[in-house]
Amino acid sequence: MVLVVNQAYDDSGHEDSGHPERPERVSAVRAGIDDLHLGSDLIVVPDRVVTREELTRVHDSGYLEELAAYCYEGGGDLDQDTYATFSSWPVAKQAAGAGLAVIEELHRRGDGVGFVVTRPPGHHALRDRAMGFCLLNNIAVAAAALRSLGERVLIVDWDVHHGNGTQEIFWNDAEVLYVSTHQWPLFPGSGAASEVGGRLAIDRTVNIPLSPGATGDILRQAFDDIAAPVIDSFSPTWVLVSAGFDAHRADPMGDLHLTSNDFAAVASSVANFVPRPGRLAMFLEGGYDLDALRSSVHATLRSVLGEAVATEQSSRGEPRGDYVTRVQRDRLAAIEALYSSHDEEST
Amino acid sequence: MNTLRTIAVGYDGSSGSEAAVRWSLTLANATHSTVIVLHAIGLLEHLYTAYPRDVTPPAIVAMAKELAFDEQRLHWHVDDGDACSVLLRAGSSPLDADLLVVGSRGRGQRTGMLLGSTTLEVAEHTLTPLVIVPSRFEED
Ligand SMILES: [Zn+2]
Repeated sequence: MVLVVNQAYDDSGHEDSGHPERPERVSAVRAGIDDLHLGSDLIVVPDRVVTREELTRVHDSGYLEELAAYCYEGGGDLDQDTYATFSSWPVAKQAAGAGLAVIEELHRRGDGVGFVVTRPPGHHALRDRAMGFCLLNNIAVAAAALRSLGERVLIVDWDVHHGNGTQEIFWNDAEVLYVSTHQWPLFPGSGAASEVGGRLAIDRTVNIPLSPGATGDILRQAFDDIAAPVIDSFSPTWVLVSAGFDAHRADPMGDLHLTSNDFAAVASSVANFVPRPGRLAMFLEGGYDLDALRSSVHATLRSVLGEAVATEQSSRGEPRGDYVTRVQRDRLAAIEALYSSHDEEST
Repeated sequence: MNTLRTIAVGYDGSSGSEAAVRWSLTLANATHSTVIVLHAIGLLEHLYTAYPRDVTPPAIVAMAKELAFDEQRLHWHVDDGDACSVLLRAGSSPLDADLLVVGSRGRGQRTGMLLGSTTLEVAEHTLTPLVIVPSRFEED
C-alpha cells in the first residue's frame, strides 16, 4: 500500500524560542517516515492553498480576520500557551491546506494511507479562538470538506489531550463521529465520559478519559469495548485520525505510559473501520519528545501499511478492575438523560 | 438578582490579577460573599509546577490578612485549561459563581486587540456578570 504525505513547507517562521511546539518536531516525523524506506510507495503531494470558504466551514470569519491581522502586526502570545508570529498566518494556512491536498490525492487514487505532517497542530483550535498551541483546526477543515461531499466522517483522536476544538465544532453534527482517548484530568479540562454530543448528535461524541499512568492495554480495551460498537453502527465512509504522540511514556506533556507499539496497535484497530482503501488520513497533532515521536510515527505507519511492528514492547499495567465499565456507565447515563430530556420537551 | 454568594476571580500571578483579587476581597467583605481564586493550568504549566493545587499562594493569604478577610470564605481552586475556558466554566456547576472578576491585563497580554486578551475573550463569551478591574486599582 502507498503512503501519501504532504510536501514539506517552510514552517520555520512559526517558532518561539524555547517553546516545545517547534520545527524540529516535523524533522522527527519525517525521519520516522524515512525509516520506512518506502521508495516509490511514498507519494509526496504538492502544496494546496486552503480557501476562505474551506476555513469558514469551521471557523468564524471574524476570528480569521483578527488572526491574520494579529500576525501581520508581528504576533505575540495568544494565551499562556499559544504564540503567533508574523509568519504564523501563512504557515497555519499551509497546514490546513496540506490535509486537503492529501485527502484529494487519496480520493483520486482510491488507494493508500495518508499522513499529514503539519504544524502548528489543530485539535484545540475552537471555532473562534486559538488555544493549546493551535491556530486553525486542520482536521476539522478536512472533515468539513468531506462532509460537504456527503461523506460520513469518523475522527479518532488519540493525542494525550482532549481535542476540545474538534469536539466543539462537530458537537451537533450527526454525520461526524468524534472519538477521543486522552488523559484526564489534564489540559484542556474537557472530555469527560458524560460529554456525548449535542441534542442533534447524541452519541456522536465518544470520550474515553484515562487516568495518569494508564498503559496501552487499558487504552485498547477501552477502545474496543466502548468506541468500536459505536463506530460500527455509525459506518463511516472516511476515517481521519488526530495522531498526537504525546501519550508516549517519554513525552513531557502528559503522564500516560504508552509505547510506540501501543500507537501501532490502536492504529490497527482504527484501520479496521476504514471502509475501503484510500479512506484513511492521519494528522499530526502533539508529540514533543523527538525520539518518541520518530519511533511512534514509524510504528504507527508500519502498522497501518500492513507490516509487522517490533520496536518497543506493548505496555501493560496493573489490572484496573472495572475502569472501562465505569466509563461506559457514565456515557450511557448521559445519553439516557439527553434522550429523556428530549422526550419531556416534545410531550 | 439573588444575593452575591460566590465571586470567582482569575489569578495568574501578574500585578493585574493581584489587583483583581484585592478588589474581590474588598467587595466580598462588604457583601459577606465567598471568594474563589481561580488559577488555570495550561499546557506549558504541565512542565513545571507554578502553583500547587492544594496551597493558596502566600501573596493571596497575605492580602486576605491585610484586608481582614475571613479565610473560611477564601478558596483556592486550580483547574486544567486555558485561562478563558477556566473562568467561563466557573459560572456553571460545580463552582456556580455569581460574579466573575478579572484584571484588565494578565501576563504577557497585548493591549487593544481581542486576540491575546483573556479579559476581552471572557467578556465576549461570558453568561455570568463580569467585572474588569483596572491595574491601577492596586495603587489607590
Ligand atoms: Zn497533545
